[in-house]
Amino acid sequence: MTLQTRTPAPTPHTAGTDPVRHGPGPRVAGGLFDPRQLLRSVPDALRKLDPRAMVRSPVMFVVETGSVLTTVLAVTDPGDGFGWLIAGWLWLTVVFANLAEAVAEGRGKAQAATLRRAKTDTVARRRTAHGEERVPGTGLRVDDLVVCEAGDVIPGDGDVVEGVASVDESAITGESAPVIRESGGDRSAVTGGTKVLSDRIVVRITARPGKTFLDRMIALVEGAARHKTPNEIALNILLASLTVVFLLAVVTLQPFAVYAGAEQPLVVLTALLVCLIPTTIGALLSAIGIAGMDRLVQRNVLAVSGRAVEAAGDVNTLLLDKTGTITVGNRQAAEFRPVGTVDVPELADAAQLASLADETPEGRSVVALAQEEYRLRERRPGELTHAAWVPFTARTRMSGVDVAGRQIRKGAAGAVAAWVAEHGGGPDAEVAAEVAEVVDAISGSGGTPLVIAERTGEGVAARVLGVIHLKDIVKEGVRERFAELRRMGIRTVMITGDNAGTAAAIAAEAGVDDFLAEATPEDKLALIKREQAGSKLVAMTGDGTNDAPALAQADVGVAMNTGTAAAKEAGNMIDLDSDPTKLIEIVEIGKQLLLTRGALTTFSLANDVAKYFAIIPAMFAAAYPGLDDLNVMRLSSPESAILSAVVFNALVIVALVPLALRGVRYRPVSADRMLRRNLAVYGLGGLAAPFLGIKLIDLVVSLIPGTA
Amino acid sequence: MSPTLASVLQVSALVAALALVHRPLGDHMARVYAGTKHSRAERWIYRAVGADPDAGMRWPAYLRTVLAFSLAGVLLLYALQRLQDRLPLSLGFAPLSPDQAFNTAASFTSNTNWQSYAGESAMSHLTQTGGLAVQNFVSAAVGMSVAVALIRGFARARTGELGNFWADLVRGTVRILLPVSAAAAVLLVAAGAVQNFSDVQSVTTVTGQTQHLTGGAVASQEAIKDLGTNGGGFYNANSSHPFENPDGSSNLLEVFLLLLIPFSLPRTFGTMVGSVRQGYAVVAAMAGIWFAGVVAVTLLEAAHPGTAAQLAGGAMEGKEQRFGESASSLFAVSTTMTSTGSVNSFHDSFSGLSGGVLLFGMMIGEIAPGGVGSGLYGMLVMAVVAVFLAGLMVGRTPEYLGKRLGPREMKLAACYLLVTPALVLSGTALAMGTGNGESAMTNTGPHGFSEVLYAYTSASNNNGSAFAGFGADTGFHNTALGLCMLLGRFLPMVFVLALAGSLARQRPAPASAGTLRTDKPLFTGVLVACVAVVAGLTFFPSLALGPLAEGLAA
Repeated sequence: MTLQTRTPAPTPHTAGTDPVRHGPGPRVAGGLFDPRQLLRSVPDALRKLDPRAMVRSPVMFVVETGSVLTTVLAVTDPGDGFGWLIAGWLWLTVVFANLAEAVAEGRGKAQAATLRRAKTDTVARRRTAHGEERVPGTGLRVDDLVVCEAGDVIPGDGDVVEGVASVDESAITGESAPVIRESGGDRSAVTGGTKVLSDRIVVRITARPGKTFLDRMIALVEGAARHKTPNEIALNILLASLTVVFLLAVVTLQPFAVYAGAEQPLVVLTALLVCLIPTTIGALLSAIGIAGMDRLVQRNVLAVSGRAVEAAGDVNTLLLDKTGTITVGNRQAAEFRPVGTVDVPELADAAQLASLADETPEGRSVVALAQEEYRLRERRPGELTHAAWVPFTARTRMSGVDVAGRQIRKGAAGAVAAWVAEHGGGPDAEVAAEVAEVVDAISGSGGTPLVIAERTGEGVAARVLGVIHLKDIVKEGVRERFAELRRMGIRTVMITGDNAGTAAAIAAEAGVDDFLAEATPEDKLALIKREQAGSKLVAMTGDGTNDAPALAQADVGVAMNTGTAAAKEAGNMIDLDSDPTKLIEIVEIGKQLLLTRGALTTFSLANDVAKYFAIIPAMFAAAYPGLDDLNVMRLSSPESAILSAVVFNALVIVALVPLALRGVRYRPVSADRMLRRNLAVYGLGGLAAPFLGIKLIDLVVSLIPGTA
Repeated sequence: MSPTLASVLQVSALVAALALVHRPLGDHMARVYAGTKHSRAERWIYRAVGADPDAGMRWPAYLRTVLAFSLAGVLLLYALQRLQDRLPLSLGFAPLSPDQAFNTAASFTSNTNWQSYAGESAMSHLTQTGGLAVQNFVSAAVGMSVAVALIRGFARARTGELGNFWADLVRGTVRILLPVSAAAAVLLVAAGAVQNFSDVQSVTTVTGQTQHLTGGAVASQEAIKDLGTNGGGFYNANSSHPFENPDGSSNLLEVFLLLLIPFSLPRTFGTMVGSVRQGYAVVAAMAGIWFAGVVAVTLLEAAHPGTAAQLAGGAMEGKEQRFGESASSLFAVSTTMTSTGSVNSFHDSFSGLSGGVLLFGMMIGEIAPGGVGSGLYGMLVMAVVAVFLAGLMVGRTPEYLGKRLGPREMKLAACYLLVTPALVLSGTALAMGTGNGESAMTNTGPHGFSEVLYAYTSASNNNGSAFAGFGADTGFHNTALGLCMLLGRFLPMVFVLALAGSLARQRPAPASAGTLRTDKPLFTGVLVACVAVVAGLTFFPSLALGPLAEGLAA
């Protein structure tokens, strides 16, 4: 039986390029921002005005308090409408902030709705001592055995304990190609809500209803399980302390103003306060975090926590599996190298025989090479009725065939040499030296040597026939990718089961910084611990149960969705596409998240300068005419100046919602260049933009009667 | 020589001398604080206070010792002043009033050296030399100890220990402050400053009047006054008094002494964290701000608006003829930006805008270069904030010198940043709101407000200089300013030491191409911008109602 692994998506689903997906219901399109989302989210935004919710964001809570205060003032002393205008715009500021969060959450909700559709109530066929009984899916317990046949929806998460089936997992992954699930091994995990397409399996339930993978996914994309990340908390502390500083600056201003003979109305002081506190970043902070998680979801990656996404941005070391990430899936046979008196066709024949039952791509490539290059006729496993196939195991590190008294073995040099010695193969120094030479030459060039040996009958000494040269094909573009990563300050380590020589050659060809050869799960774990002991953050991908300890140890552990339940449980992210190259994108998304926060904080603070130049002369130029020199924007009247600053402060939030959701563009350049660029755009830009914006708004506002 | 050339030469000579000396001194200080050996005299001191100089202290222990030592200093100083008539060398002066004694005790222990008294007519020799001068040394040494503890927080890994306060205090005093100030005192005597223990002398002046001249250990106190960025003059007129600061050369020497340790400590920092370039990035930010201040005040003063100034050929009101405009401007900026507070001219008399620059120099938190020790730790806390913002903008969790700036670090840095603005603003507001501010003013209008604002800014930032018109010696101001000085000194130390403790526990993350480089000019620029924006945004409204309203009125 051929095992079909789902091929990784060839290109990542980047924003806008591939909004259409297969599977049930449309999935949320990429980072594009649809203005209609704003309108749709208005009810949610209004619901968020509840002060109990607002208090989570100290900056916006202050704005809401200010809005209430100015509204009360406007009611008690209606005046000329200025108070109402300020109160109205302060409320709008709060609503805009909530809108940003609601829009960000809205995308997650759409995703969750899609997932919920997969969570229809199923009836499970539970196996009992006497046969089967039908129970609702919600009545299942851990360790129950359920039977699923073609057409059934699997009622809960579990492991296949009997049988093989092709399963449609599109409900979760959006990928329509069915996958194979079978008992034992690393492909035994099934997810509740997916559908069996063919055959029959028995599943042992591993998750309680309500705690299944699908439930976790829904909670994650909905943001129900959202906790503030460490960096978000740190930034919130900084913003809160700035808010306190500005609160002090404004509160203490009144006695100073009284002395100057320019006592300020409360509404003006409130307006000043709201303009000064970092409302822009305060309003967008949670939207940025939600959108960051959402960007991962759009790339079919589920992060268990925002903390993991943040850690991804800080990763120092990437552990990348060679196969599938650095090299094109599999190695291919390129050459037969006979040794001693053996000639090429003889070797090719033996190699083909030994590989007939080997359905791995390497095995198939040996058969193909023998057929194409040496015109050997195609043979099928079925032809050789009495053949006993020796499967490859990690322990023997060999495979082969026993047919008509002839034994052929194919495998790693050391393993085959041991087999030959065990079966009476004399220590033929000359042949041994030749084999070693060929093996070293192939390894040295980055290839993988597979040694072929045979024994023609009982009592006959085994001998080595030659070596198959398996070549790794390094993926196109990975070299450039690794160079990029190096510029970002990330070290790449290639993980491979190959020997050191082979690994070194491929590592050099692909341009990775380091490699771990003949890697066992323990080696991986040790490597991660070593890196972490040097205070480095490590990211890795994995799918097998034996990867679980390393996945759990890594700071960012991305489990492949095709992997086992243990691996998925251990990692802090799950890649639904099972594409190991996605790790690089995850790192970029993590960086983008922090970048967006930093850029908008800087922008928000830089904005204050212009607001001072608008509001301070408006407040005090009457008392001290010299201060009118500070009115560099030449705003038309004090009221209009203050109102313009407040309006700008509110509108800039809406203007920046798309940026907050999409994220500041990340370029893989050195930290210095990135800082210089972002300082220029968000620092200097943040300094200049409000001067322009406030002036423009003033031109409009001055047309409103009563403010000019 | 034209005034412009004179001021250029003066500043160049100063910068050259500092550039020359900061390296050996900075390295010397690094060795002093990293050393393990104790001299015999030091051992004797440790035995006397019953301290084990080799025991490592965690941050709470370090902090407790700092606070206990300083509290003892406050009490001792208070007692000395209250009992000075019953103690030897009294010169016949009466004890000070409780509020003034508290104010002075707080002032000298907190390295502020705000003087609501006139030294020559209020303080006995014992109080001056045994109390005030001693605090001049140890309060400076305390500041340096805390700075060194913070440096160790950055330099050390996976330890809770920040060194030993007693060892840092004693070494800072014995091996750094004492020798340098002794040498400086000799130079000052050579330049003509007085040094004696004489009684009050009555002399008949040229105009036939009688003047009472108080002598004393002036040169020695002058040396540590400047070296330790204390600022408490022997005489009320401070460094404008000819016995303290006889001529141009002594003036330049005093400015040099003000800046010496604050500009050398970044070198110590760089050496101790293993990269002198890190120190240079910090010192460049300090020097940039200081230099901008010098240029601004010199130019603003040279512009001498107003008929009186134009007739006199310079804005000479409140300035000494023997120093002139540029040396006065240089001294004024250096003393306000080093938290010293000694003056050779009266800041009150500076033009509105240059008075604003002097105020702003203190409002940025006394970090350019700031007081001995306190300037460095203040600038490093600002650097933590700058790294946090800039670090985010390179897409990583911010790290400074390999130490991650997480919620705890930001909480402590944010608290540090809150303290002085809160004290300055609420102190001034309280004074203005209760009418105590207005009654202490000599001037009216925005200048009067500047006097009050200056007083509370100076006290909260531990500077100690004043706008001369401000009548500080009232129960309200003595108490309020005394509290501002104590809280403005010791509350930040709590956060600095806690931050040091939290940094020292971390293992440094290795630097990579993706890490923000904090040893580059770009970072220095970010740091300067952060300092200016944070202080500017906090104080712009109050500055607008004081110096700006006054300066722009013309």
